[in-house]
Amino acid sequence: MRAARNPNHAIAAAVAAVAAAAFAGTFWFDPVPEGLPGLGAVDFPRLVCVLLFLLAGLLALKQGSRPSEEEAPPLDRGAWLIFGACLVFLPAMEVLGIWGAIPIFLVATGLIWGEVPLRTLVLNAIGLTVALWVVFVRIFQLTLPSGWLGAMLGR
Amino acid sequence: MEAFLGGLAILVDPYVMLMVLLGTVLGIFVGALPGISGSTTIALLLPMTIAMGPVPAICFLGAIYCAANFGGSITAIMVNAPGDPSASATALEGYKMAEKGQAGLALGMSAVSSAIGGIVSVIVLIFAAPMLARAAYSFGPPEYFALALFGLSMCAAIGGDSPIKNLIAAALGLLIATVGMDLTTGVERFSFGIYELSDGIGFVPVLIGLFAVGEMLDQAARRVGKAQIIHLDAARVPGWAEFKKCNRSIWIGSGIGTFIGALPALGATTAALIGYNETRRWSKYKHEFGKGSIEGVAGPEAANNAAVGGSMVPTLALGIPGSATTAIILAALIVQGVRPGPHLFNEQPTLLYAVFASMLAANIFYLVMGLYMAKLFARISLIPPAILWPAVFVLSIIGAYGPNQSMGDVVIMLVAGVVGFLFRRTGFSPAPLIMGLVLGGMVEETLKQSLIIFGDDLTGFLGRPIALALFAVTATGLLWPVLSRLLRVARAARA
Repeated sequence: MRAARNPNHAIAAAVAAVAAAAFAGTFWFDPVPEGLPGLGAVDFPRLVCVLLFLLAGLLALKQGSRPSEEEAPPLDRGAWLIFGACLVFLPAMEVLGIWGAIPIFLVATGLIWGEVPLRTLVLNAIGLTVALWVVFVRIFQLTLPSGWLGAMLGR
Repeated sequence: MEAFLGGLAILVDPYVMLMVLLGTVLGIFVGALPGISGSTTIALLLPMTIAMGPVPAICFLGAIYCAANFGGSITAIMVNAPGDPSASATALEGYKMAEKGQAGLALGMSAVSSAIGGIVSVIVLIFAAPMLARAAYSFGPPEYFALALFGLSMCAAIGGDSPIKNLIAAALGLLIATVGMDLTTGVERFSFGIYELSDGIGFVPVLIGLFAVGEMLDQAARRVGKAQIIHLDAARVPGWAEFKKCNRSIWIGSGIGTFIGALPALGATTAALIGYNETRRWSKYKHEFGKGSIEGVAGPEAANNAAVGGSMVPTLALGIPGSATTAIILAALIVQGVRPGPHLFNEQPTLLYAVFASMLAANIFYLVMGLYMAKLFARISLIPPAILWPAVFVLSIIGAYGPNQSMGDVVIMLVAGVVGFLFRRTGFSPAPLIMGLVLGGMVEETLKQSLIIFGDDLTGFLGRPIALALFAVTATGLLWPVLSRLLRVARAARA
């Protein structure tokens, strides 16, 4: 029977990869004039990268346990759809502006999340969008992205 | 004394008082919401405080910090779902009391012991912080470097499922802190020609991403339904007999909480768990624990609120965060142009005493609100996650974009959110990363200055006894698991 894989190995490899990439990145820094006292621009980041390598090595040596379903539940279709909605929020903001994207996002994500009827979600989306607009635009005087739609409407 | 009176005078300002009151209400509100902790809220609201000015902003955030710990106990008792991680010990006995029909008494004791713990720690803060700051006046860059390393080493003990993972997160924070222009040489580091990165990665988007968006993505993966609430008529002020029974637990909790809080990196959650264990150890009624012990509510509640004042001691006196939440408050101070440290006590004593006074006021506010409005706050946990978490995401977007009107900051926040989500799924805690990010500049700067002082000779540290002592404590703390194992083996061999 094959021994169970140590999940720490994958995490340690990822940490080591980040450290290696950062270490390599220090070679692209602009050169510093010779003769400056103390640490240069590259030394401290390299020191941290070496520390990360060492810690990744220690982590790989340590036996880890696979996270339980409670700690890391499997990602179902709904979770992926919510992640997708979060990702789509930025382009939606570019097109519809933040005040167009917010209610659509609130209703769509709420529907995927489940348990709350559409009518409640729509009312909540309208109420929250208006409240946020009052707080941030009217009170805090923030300029938030109005998007192509906002530009077209002449805002 | 004059400065303290000045601080109290600032508090009389209706605007500051309003901010403290608002912070207290908001703190209880978010503390009672399972999943949204005080640190998440402070990270989320940090951008809004930029326009407030230093005193109202810090009073507002300090009040949230004080009240969120208490708010967490409401849902811990009523729903068995700690609203804040620091209330997890309270749930052990508080929910059992609620099941026995003593929810009102548990909430009343929680409010009273939280307020006592909080007030005791603020009094300690008022006296200890200036003393620590005076002692720190003799500190030079080598001592600060050693102190910052000590603070980072303490990260090994916070959250997550392994000290090594915590140290990795702290080191990643240090690495992120190096992004942008190196102030000594003017060289741009890891900015890859991207204009937004040349000034470094801002605290605000990283904090919001790691705490708020990371938690939102994690909740999206879980999508649990709303909680079931236990019936409650009203919180009840504990009677003399109950208070007498819990007297010792409250003082043990207050002492432990203040001490643990004052240690860099360790915060309210650790204090509450140790407070619970010590309360049980010293209790005359040990048999009641696990079945709904009122002492088991009083001890950890006093401890987690005492940790708030305790953790502000190193944050304000030394500029070393006492917990993840104070790391965010430290970032808020820096964003406001205030650099905490010993000099602050000379330069802006009134600001400091206004912070102390506002924390005292917040403790009194939430005591009153906790006793009279607990029923209302408990209903907060009934907000459906399908409404709550998408709203958190929307607020995160506005919070990240707002301060600099930069889409680059929104992208950084989303990346930090993904990192925060992956951290949660792989047993990492985001708190050490924040500690590393906040302390990164200080670690590098003081190391560079030390080496210049010592003429590039590391043995120069040997001539600095305070730095040496701090290095020794750091090394002992980090190697303690190995040392204790060796001691056990040696003892077993002798036997």
